[in-house]
Amino acid sequence: MSDNVAARVRVWDLPTRVFHWSLALSFFGAYLLAESERVRHLHVMFGYTVLALIVFRLVWGFLGTRYARFSSFAFGPRAVLDHLKGLARRDVGEHAGHTPAGSWAIWLMLLLALVTGVSGYLYFNEIGGEAMEEVHEVAGNAWLLVVFVHVAGVIVSSLVERQNLARTMMTGYKRLSGAASSVRNVSIVGVLMLAGIALFWGATTLSGSTPALPSWGGTHPVVESPRLSSDHDSDDD
Amino acid sequence: MSVRIAMLLGCAALSTVAHAGTPQDLLQTWQTEARAQSPQFTGFSAERGRLLYFKQPADWSCSTCHTNDPRGAGRHAVTSKPIKALSPLANPARFSDPAKAEKWFTRNCKDVLKRECTAVEKGDLLTFLMSQSLHTPK
Repeated sequence: MSDNVAARVRVWDLPTRVFHWSLALSFFGAYLLAESERVRHLHVMFGYTVLALIVFRLVWGFLGTRYARFSSFAFGPRAVLDHLKGLARRDVGEHAGHTPAGSWAIWLMLLLALVTGVSGYLYFNEIGGEAMEEVHEVAGNAWLLVVFVHVAGVIVSSLVERQNLARTMMTGYKRLSGAASSVRNVSIVGVLMLAGIALFWGATTLSGSTPALPSWGGTHPVVESPRLSSDHDSDDD
Repeated sequence: MSVRIAMLLGCAALSTVAHAGTPQDLLQTWQTEARAQSPQFTGFSAERGRLLYFKQPADWSCSTCHTNDPRGAGRHAVTSKPIKALSPLANPARFSDPAKAEKWFTRNCKDVLKRECTAVEKGDLLTFLMSQSLHTPK
C-alpha cells in the first residue's frame, strides 16, 4: 500500500449507510424469524422494509452521491478478474467506492433482495401458487450465501487495505491517498429514512399485527368455521 | 457464484414439481419411524390425535388457527389471513407432499408445543384427520 499522506474522505453518504445497515438488520431479522407463526407479523414487517429499501436504492443509484451511483460500480468481468488477481498479489490499487469484485456481490444481493421480497409478498398474499413458497426460500438462502461472500470480501479487502471497511460503512469515511474528495452527506434523506423505519417498526411491534399495507384483494373476509362462532363455542366437543 | 445461484434456482424449479404422495404414504413412513423409536408402539390412534389437535400447553393449540373443525377453512392467529382446510378429506392438496408435511409439522409443533413432534404424534394427528366423516357438521 501507498505510504503517502492519506486523507479522510467521505465516500458513503448517510442515506447509503442507513440503507446498508437497515437492509442487513431486516434481512437477518426476517431470516431468524422465518419459521415461527407467532412472529409472522415481524417477518412480514422486515420484508416490507427490504422492499422499500430496495426501491429507495434503485432511485439512489441514479440520484445519490458519486460512489452510491450505479455508474460508479458497473464493472465488467474483465475488471472483476483483474481485481481478483490483484487481490491474490495483495495489490489492488485504490478504490474509493465499491471494488470490482465487491460490486458483483452488491448487484447479486440487490437482485436477490428484490426476488426474495417480491416472492415473499406474493406468497403471503397467495398469488402465484405453491411455487412462490419455493422461490422465496431459495432466493432467501441464496441471498444469505452472497452475504457470506460479501462479508468475506470486506474482511479480505480490509486486511489488504489495512483499514476497517465495515467502519467505513458506519462513519462514511475512508482513508484515501488519491485525489478523491468527500461526497455530500445528504443527511436530511438519511434522517427521514431512519424516522420512517422507526415509525413503521414501532407501529408494527406495538400493534402486534401485520403491517396494514395494500394486499391484493383488499381486506380478507373472515372465514370462520360455523362451529367457532362465539355463540356455539360452548356446545362443542 | 452466478453458476451456483443458477443451480440453486434450477433445483428450486425441480423441487416445485410436487412430490406426489398420499396421506397413506406418510402414515407408512411415520409408522416405520415410530416402530424404530419405540418397541411398545402398536399403531396410530385417532383419539390420541384428536387430543393432540386440541391440546393447549400454553396459549396456542392446533385449533387456534385451524379451528375446531379441521375440515373447514382456518384463520391465522396473528395475521388473520385465511388458511385452507387442513384435513386432506376437505383439501386433497394436504399431506400430498411429504417434504411440505414435515416442514409444517416442524414449524407448527414448535409454535404450539415448543418442541418438534414425534413420529407417533404426527401419525396420530393425521389418523385423526382421516377418521373424521366427510360431511361437515351443521
